[in-house]
Amino acid sequence: MDINAPAQGKYFDGKSARQLPVNVHMDTRHDTRVLVIQPAESAEIIWPLEELREVREQARDEGIVLSLGQDGIARLILLHGAAEDLIRKTAPKLGKVVVKKSKLRQLAFWAGGAVASVALIMFVILPALSNQLATMIPVEREAAIGQTAMTQIHKFLGGSDEKDLTCSNPDGVLALQKMTARMLGDTEVPYDLQVKVFKHKMINAFAVPGGNVVLFEGLLDAARSPEEVAGVLGHEIGHVMNRDPMRLTLRSAGSVGILGMVFGDFAGGFMALVLTEKLISAQYAQGAESDADEFAHELMADAKLPAASFAEFFRTLKDKHGGQSGLMSHLASHPDLDGRANAAVAADVVGDANYEPVLTPFEWRALQNICD
Amino acid sequence: MSSDVSNDPFSRLHREDTRTATAASPPMDVDYRGTQGPLFWLALRTALLTLITLGFYRFWAKTRIRKYFWSATAPGGDPMEYTGNGLEKLLGFLIAVAFLAIYLGLFQVLLSFVGLSVFSGGDGPESQVLQVALGQATLLAVIPFIFYAQYRARRYILSRTRWRGVRFGVDAAAWGYVWRALVHWFITIISLGLLLPRQTFWLEKYKIDRTWYGNTKFVQGGKWTSLYPAMKHYFIAAGLIVVPSLLAWTTEQPVWLFFAFIGGVWFYYAFAYYAVESFRILADQKRLGERVGFITGPRASKVFWTYILGALLASTCAGLVFSAFSVVASNFMGLTTFGLLAEGEKLFNPENMSIGFYIGGALFVIGYLAMLLSYGVFGMIFVSQPVLEHYVETTQILNPEALDDIQQRSRDEMVEAEGFADALDVGAAI
Repeated sequence: MDINAPAQGKYFDGKSARQLPVNVHMDTRHDTRVLVIQPAESAEIIWPLEELREVREQARDEGIVLSLGQDGIARLILLHGAAEDLIRKTAPKLGKVVVKKSKLRQLAFWAGGAVASVALIMFVILPALSNQLATMIPVEREAAIGQTAMTQIHKFLGGSDEKDLTCSNPDGVLALQKMTARMLGDTEVPYDLQVKVFKHKMINAFAVPGGNVVLFEGLLDAARSPEEVAGVLGHEIGHVMNRDPMRLTLRSAGSVGILGMVFGDFAGGFMALVLTEKLISAQYAQGAESDADEFAHELMADAKLPAASFAEFFRTLKDKHGGQSGLMSHLASHPDLDGRANAAVAADVVGDANYEPVLTPFEWRALQNICD
Repeated sequence: MSSDVSNDPFSRLHREDTRTATAASPPMDVDYRGTQGPLFWLALRTALLTLITLGFYRFWAKTRIRKYFWSATAPGGDPMEYTGNGLEKLLGFLIAVAFLAIYLGLFQVLLSFVGLSVFSGGDGPESQVLQVALGQATLLAVIPFIFYAQYRARRYILSRTRWRGVRFGVDAAAWGYVWRALVHWFITIISLGLLLPRQTFWLEKYKIDRTWYGNTKFVQGGKWTSLYPAMKHYFIAAGLIVVPSLLAWTTEQPVWLFFAFIGGVWFYYAFAYYAVESFRILADQKRLGERVGFITGPRASKVFWTYILGALLASTCAGLVFSAFSVVASNFMGLTTFGLLAEGEKLFNPENMSIGFYIGGALFVIGYLAMLLSYGVFGMIFVSQPVLEHYVETTQILNPEALDDIQQRSRDEMVEAEGFADALDVGAAI
C-alpha cells in the first residue's frame, strides 16, 4: 500500500448510520506514521498507526475492522489484501487493551461489598435468625415434621408398612426404657421422647425433630458396654433438645439460594455450590455435634455415669473404621474422633470410682438381642 | 402491441410503480455469516474456562459468544457489533449480589419457616397441596424482580449493540414494565390463556416503543387481536385434549385418552408455533422512524424441528463424550463392563480402593462434567445457531435508504449492566 495505490474500504464515522466508501493509504504527517482515510465527498480523516486498534472476535474472518483507540466509535473495515497485511505489520498496538484504573477500583469496591453482604447474611444473620425461628415452631408441628422424616428414612433403609424395622423384643425394650430413664433423670423434655432400635447393620444413630431417637442394631453390636450406648443416646437427646434438625434446615434453605446465585448454574458452578454448601453445613453441624456431646456429658454426669465410656465408643469407632475415612455415618462424618474422645474423658466426673452400671449384664444382653 | 400495453393505464401504473419501488429502495437483506467450526471452538474454549474457574468466567464467555453471534448478523452486509465486556458484566453482577444476597437469604428463611410452621405432617393430600402452594409463593415473590431484571438485561444488551457504528438504546423504564407485566400475566392466567395475545402485544409494544436505533425510535404498530391466528395450534391442542377426555368419560372407553395424549404432545408444537408466528406478525408491524419497516418470514415447523432434532443430536454427542470417559474410567477401575451395580459391593469395599480406583472415579466425574459442558457446546451449534440463522435470513428491511439519515445517540453507561438478570439467572439465552 502506497500513495499511488490506495486500498478501498468502508468507513462508519460513528455519527450517522451512513456507510462511507473510502480510499485508504499510509502516509507520514508531522513525523508520525498515519492512515489517511479519504471519503469521496468530504475531508480526509487521519488515524495515527500508534492509535489503531483491531475489533476482534468477528464471526467471519474476511479482513480487518479497525477503530481509533480502544473506545473509538468510528469503524474502518478493510477486506483481506495488501493493505490489511501492511497494517498488521506496521501498526504497533492493534491488540492493546487497557483496563481503566477507575474500573478496577470500582470492581474491588463492589467485590468487597458483595463478599461482605454474602458473609453477613450467611454467617451472622442466617444462623441467628434460624436459631431464633427454630424455637418458634410449635412442638406439635415439629413432631409432625419428624414423623414424616421418620417415614422417609424408614423407607430409605429398606423398611415398609409390612416390614417394620423397629425391634421389639420385650426384654430389650424394657432395658432401653430403663437406660433412657436413667439418662434423662430430672431433665425436662418438651417432647414425647421415643427411643427405638432399627434392625440395620450400620453403626449409627440419629434423631429426627420432635423427639424420635433411633439406634441401629449395628451400633449395639459394636458397643462394648451399655455405658457406651448411653453416651450415644445422650448425644442424640442433645440433638432433640437443641432442635438441631430444624435449625440446620432453616439455615440451609437460606444459604443454598444465595450460593446458587453466586456460582450460577454451570457445571463448574454446580460443583462449587455443592462443595461450599457441604463445607458450611459441616462447620455448622460440627458445632451442633460438639454441643450435643456436651449435653451428653452433662446427662452422664447427672446420672453418675462415667463419660469416659462415651470416649470408649469413639475409640471403638476409630478402630473399626480407621479414623474418619470410608464411614458413611454422621457420627464419623465429623472428624477428630480423638478430640471428641478426649473431651468426653475430660468431662468425666466418675473417674475410677465405682458407679451403678446403667444396665445389669442380663439387661445388657437383652438390649443387644432386642432384634432377635 | 407495445403501444397497446403502454396505453393501458393499469399496465403503465403497475410498471412504473414496480420500477420506482425497486429503483428507489430495494429491501435490504440480512446476511448470516456464522459457521459451525469457529463457533464450536469458541463455545468449547469458553465453556472449559468457565468450568475451571468454577463459573466465574461465565461473564466473559457470554460476552464472547454474543460478539460472535452479533458479528455474524449483517444487515446489508454490514455486521452488527457487540461492545459489552466481561468486566462490566462481572461488576454489575457483584452490585446485584451485594443487594440481593440479604434480601434473598432473609426471604427464603422466613418462607421455609412459614412452610415448616403450617406443615401439617403426614403424606396426606392437604399437606402436599400446601407445600406446592408455598413453593409457588416463593416464585411469586421473586417474579417482580425477574421482570425487572429482564427489562434491564434487554436495556444493557441493546445499549452495547451497534450497527454501522450507531448505538441502539432502550429508555430506563423497568418498573413500568414490571407492573404491566404482572397485570397482563394475571389477566392471561384468569382468562385461561385466552387473552395471551393481548399480553404478548402490549408488553412487546411497551418494550419496542422505548427502543431506539441512534436518534430514531422504533414503533410497534398493529392490533393485539391480529395475533389470534398464531393461537391456532393452542386451540387445536386444547380441543384434542378436552373432546376425547369428555368422550372417554361419557362413553367410558379409555381408548379416547390416546387422542388426549396426542393433544398433550401437540401443545409443544403450539408453543413453538405461537412464539414464531407472533414474532413474525409483530415484526411486520414494527417501524423504525417514519419509513423503515421489516418483513420477516420464519417458519414455525423449521424452528420446531431444529429444536427437536438439534437437541437430539446434541444429547447424542454429549452422551458419546460421556461414554468415552466411562470406558477409560472402567479400565482404571478394573471393571471389564459397566457392571457397576453388580459389582457395587466389591467396588465400595475399602480394601479394593487402589490408586487406579481413584483415577477411574475422578475420570467418571470429569466425564460427567464433560457431558454437561459438551451438551451446551453442541446445543450452540445444532440449535442456537441454526435457529438464529433462520430468523436472520428470513428478515428484510424495507426502505433502507432512510437509515442513512439516522444519527448517533449518547452512551447509556449502566454500571449495573445486567447483573440482576445474572444473579437471578433469568438473562437472555445468548
